[in-house]
Amino acid sequence: MPRRFSATPYLFLAPALLVIGVFILYPVASVVFYSLTDYDIVRPPVFIGLENYQRLFADATFWKALTNSIVYLVATPIIIVLSIALAIAVNRRLRGVQLFRALYYVPAVSGSIAIGISWRWLFDRNGVINGVLLWLGAIRQPIQWLAEPSLVLPIAILLTIWAGIGYYAVIFLAGLQNIPEELYDAARIDGCNELRKHWHVSLPGLRPQIVFVFIISSLAALKVFDEIYVLTNRTGGILDSGTTMVFYLWKQAFVLSHAGYASAIAIVLLVLTLGFSIVNVRLLERGTDTA
Amino acid sequence: MKTRKHLALGLAAVLAVGACQSSAPASSGPASAPASAVTSPSAAPSTAESASPTAAASASAAPLAADPAEAVIPNVEQGATVKFWTFYLSPTFDDYIKATIARFEQTYPGVKVDWEDHQATFQDDLKGAFAAGSAPDVINLSVGEGWVSDYATKDLLLPLDDKVPAAVKDIYYPGLWKEQLVGGKNYQFPWYQGISVELINKRLYEQGAGLSAADFPKTVDGLPQVCQTIKDKTGTVCDIRLTVSDLLSQMVYEGNVKVMSDDGKSFTFDSADGVAWLKMYADMVKAGTVDNTILTTNDDRVGLLLFSAGQAAFYQTGPNLIREVKSNNSQLYGDLAVVPAPVGKSGVVGKGLMGISVKADTKYPNAAIALAQYFTNPRSMVEFAQQVAVYPSSAKAYEDPFFASTPSAIEDSARPIAKDIVSKYADIVPTIPKKADVNDIVLHAVEDALFNNVDPQKALTEAVAKANALIK
Repeated sequence: MPRRFSATPYLFLAPALLVIGVFILYPVASVVFYSLTDYDIVRPPVFIGLENYQRLFADATFWKALTNSIVYLVATPIIIVLSIALAIAVNRRLRGVQLFRALYYVPAVSGSIAIGISWRWLFDRNGVINGVLLWLGAIRQPIQWLAEPSLVLPIAILLTIWAGIGYYAVIFLAGLQNIPEELYDAARIDGCNELRKHWHVSLPGLRPQIVFVFIISSLAALKVFDEIYVLTNRTGGILDSGTTMVFYLWKQAFVLSHAGYASAIAIVLLVLTLGFSIVNVRLLERGTDTA
Repeated sequence: MKTRKHLALGLAAVLAVGACQSSAPASSGPASAPASAVTSPSAAPSTAESASPTAAASASAAPLAADPAEAVIPNVEQGATVKFWTFYLSPTFDDYIKATIARFEQTYPGVKVDWEDHQATFQDDLKGAFAAGSAPDVINLSVGEGWVSDYATKDLLLPLDDKVPAAVKDIYYPGLWKEQLVGGKNYQFPWYQGISVELINKRLYEQGAGLSAADFPKTVDGLPQVCQTIKDKTGTVCDIRLTVSDLLSQMVYEGNVKVMSDDGKSFTFDSADGVAWLKMYADMVKAGTVDNTILTTNDDRVGLLLFSAGQAAFYQTGPNLIREVKSNNSQLYGDLAVVPAPVGKSGVVGKGLMGISVKADTKYPNAAIALAQYFTNPRSMVEFAQQVAVYPSSAKAYEDPFFASTPSAIEDSARPIAKDIVSKYADIVPTIPKKADVNDIVLHAVEDALFNNVDPQKALTEAVAKANALIK
């Protein structure tokens, strides 16, 4: 007997599908369309086929931005290692540990623009870093940190790491508190010292959190914008030293009015992050299977 | 245990709030506007605080009666509602703008004005409005930043020469009316003008470096020697800015560089003049006498903040921003000297600052032209100049006794010489096709020469080749 069609499930799905359609699918489809056009925002787009993509391959600044974004991924393993260390450090009953946990979480609740400005002040000509180095006699003249092309990206990465550790450490802390205490007791009986105890018990126990943090922090690193925008005063740094994919996308769209070209960059970024996400999700599934 | 937990949470909350609050002063500066593009807020009169004492007085005064003689545009459409956008004028100048609009509506009965002020996102908002077909009829555009030519080349603005009576055009200084012509046509009413001055920190410049403010270089090519002396004597570097959003313009004014061929079909800025101009800056960077961050920033406020902190011997800006120095560092304000900014090899002191344009497809062209003209007429300009250190664009405005009065505050010290300077303003830069893209090419060449040890001649020649390919 044929099943009768029922509209009920579709009606239940409709609100969610509508939201996804309006706020995700339509914008993505629009960007794909604009990437095939010459569009300066103020005049109607003109279809030019794949010209924007061809231009990308010959654009040295695009490759520089892509390279910088990939270099930025170096922040991910550093964040993971430091966050785990911090989580382990505060996962004990010590005097004042709650205050310490609250303090290292402060960057996570502060605005990225505010943090960026604070760091710019630190590295200014008359900033704290130069002040300390001059006081110590380590330098005779202030260093122009943010005007030194080789230093812009490392400083931005340092900022991202500093601002992110607290947030990720809370995730690891939650993971650590789910590891049964008996496992640590067993490791202790087996003769493990503190370091080996964490190596053999904490790290395997944190595997799902590590994979999760790896996914979100690597995607965040690929999409970094605020730090560069503020630290370089909207220039991307001398010789494009701090220009990342998203910053270059913004510059093309809103400084040079090449919204079509910027859309092509956005599509490349989308493919890149999608690839990363697929790899990471696979890793996550494997981690869950073995856990 | 619970008490400690609450204490910890409370402290964290205080720290978080403190962290947010500590960013507040800076957020009024460059970083508050992630979407802003090339705009330099300092191009507009500062809205940081109430202007001068005269501002408070006139702002609170009731609007003066309309003068029928101000109705100079004929055939204004009855029942028109004209949308008007300004850049960075609210809230400090709300009273002035509203009073002028009220007077305009009395002068041209039947016309209504719908005014909005846009700030850091002005350019993005305007582009979006044009795209959506809802752009304002009358738009305050920066001449200095090249916005008028940007929009005019896209056929978005109304050419004014044929639409404005000759007697009205003659009100304005010819150099200002004709600046930023596109295809030989004018697209803006010259509005308020700025004057570049050098603010000098006498403590560093005179007492530290042993120089005299009175002998500050009159021409740009005197700056390298002054910066070398300052560095040798005080260890401080100079805060000098390249106009990174319009480098070809700076080449023309400072280096007298011919940037385009006469037929406008190829670039020529890799000439000996161009190379000499770039080499001057490259030598300063090599000698370590300038702050490289300030040199390449597109934000006037970054250098102004360092100067306000007493970290720079001199800084070039508008006199309207002196009061920011005063509010940030009253001690430095007492040690300030103000001298005219040095001129370049072109001998031209500068170009205009702000204009008012009319949208090309406005429904009410005459009403829109009338409003744009009204804000730029001598009476409106004098009233604006009484609020803040900006200067009118017409000779008649300077006949007002206000400009003959002796200023008491240092921020008004340019007032007596303003007429002489503004009357000589001229845009001597040819219309640059694909200006933003060409500027980006030139910026890369300049940065290569300054920071990448590329020979200035090679950098500029390669840039010319790329720019020529772009406009083929």
